[in-house]
Amino acid sequence: MKLAQLSRRQRGLALCAPISEEKIADRAMRGAISQARKTEDFVHQQAFDQAVNALVRTIPIPPEIAEWFSTEHIIIGPRRTWQRLARNPAMLAIAIALGVIAGIFVYQFVEHLHDFPGSGTARRLLKVASSTRSIILDPIKTDAAALGDLFFMKHRLAHYDVPPEFADFHTLGARVFDDEEGLRVAQVWLAEKRMQFFLFPAERDAKTGKVLDFSGWRYVDHEGWAGVVQQRNGVCFMAALRGREKDLAPYVSKPKQ
Amino acid sequence: MMGEARKAQEVFRATLREAAERAANGEAPRDPFWLFRAARDRCLEASEQGLQAEDIDFEEHEVAPWAASQIERLDANQLAIWISGAPDPQRTALALFYLDEFSYGDLLTLTELKPDELAKAISNGRQQFQGWLNTTVPHSEP
Repeated sequence: MKLAQLSRRQRGLALCAPISEEKIADRAMRGAISQARKTEDFVHQQAFDQAVNALVRTIPIPPEIAEWFSTEHIIIGPRRTWQRLARNPAMLAIAIALGVIAGIFVYQFVEHLHDFPGSGTARRLLKVASSTRSIILDPIKTDAAALGDLFFMKHRLAHYDVPPEFADFHTLGARVFDDEEGLRVAQVWLAEKRMQFFLFPAERDAKTGKVLDFSGWRYVDHEGWAGVVQQRNGVCFMAALRGREKDLAPYVSKPKQ
Repeated sequence: MMGEARKAQEVFRATLREAAERAANGEAPRDPFWLFRAARDRCLEASEQGLQAEDIDFEEHEVAPWAASQIERLDANQLAIWISGAPDPQRTALALFYLDEFSYGDLLTLTELKPDELAKAISNGRQQFQGWLNTTVPHSEP
C-alpha cells in the first residue's frame, strides 16, 4: 500500500506527522498516522524524519544561549489577577450562567421547602378562588359549622367539616364541583374579607392508598392569594383570601374550643 | 534558518532584547509563539542582506529506505546550510518541523500556512533533500 492511496486529508496529515509520538495532539492526526503506518513509504518517511531530527539535535548550542533556556519561561506574561479574570467576557458569561442556574435551584428549593401532602391541589384551588365569581355559587346564608351536615346530606361528602377556628363565620354561598383531577371539592364563599373555604380529599399514597398525613396548619400562596390548610379524617380544609400569610395567621393562632 | 551559528546568535540576542524591552514597558506579548515569530522574521530579514544564494531547482527523489544511513554520514552544518537555502515558507516549515518541538496545530499557526501548503512544503522538502543526499552522499550497496 502507498501513501497516495489514502484520502487527500489523511495523506496531508501523514506527510506532516510529528516525529515524536507525544506531539500527536489531535484525533484526526492519530487516525491518519494509524492508516499511514500500513504503507511502506510512510515507514521510510518516519525513518528519514527521525534521522534528520537526530542530526538537528547534534547542533551545539552555545553556553550563553543554553543559559536562557535553563528556566522554563523566557518571557513571563502579565500576571493574571482575579480582577483581570473577572473582566474576561467568557468568565463573565460563565459566572452569570452559574448565577442564574443557582438562582433557579434556590427558588425551586424555597418554593418547595414548605410543601406538604396536598399542597399542589391547594395551590390549584387558590387559582380557582381568584377566578370565582359569587354568582356561580348557590346562595346559602348560615354559619360555616352547619355546612358539614349539608355536604353530607346533599352530596354524601363525609367529614367535609369546617374546623372550629372558622366555624362561626357567616357564609354567603357554597357549591360542590369536581376539579380537573376529579376530586370532589366543596367551595364556600364568606362575608368576612371575601374569604373562601375549600374542602377536598387529602392526598393518598399511590401504592397503599393510605392518607398522607400532616399535622397543624400549613400555608400556601399563589399569585397574590394565600391559604391555610389543615387535614382531618382524610379531608383537607383550606381557608383562602387575597393577601398574604400574615393576613390568615390571626385566625389560626388561637384555636377555639 | 540562517545556516550560520554567528548570525543565528545575533538574531537570538536581538529577539530577546526586543522581548525584554517590551516586558519592561508592560507590553509583554500575549502570543505564546511571539518569540518564534519574531526570530523567524529577523532571520528572513537578515538573510535578505548580504550574499544571496542562487536559486537552484532541486531534483526531487522518492524518500529512500536507506535515507537514514545517508543522513548519518552528514554533518549538522550541511543540513543547516541546506535548509537555510530553501525558499520561504518552505524554509520555516522545515526548520520548525525538524526541531520536533511543535504539534501539527502549532506548526500551522506558526508558519501561517494552510494544511495543504504545509504538507506540500514538508513533503517537497524531503524529496529535494533526498535528491541532494543522492548526489552528496550516494548510497553504496553493502
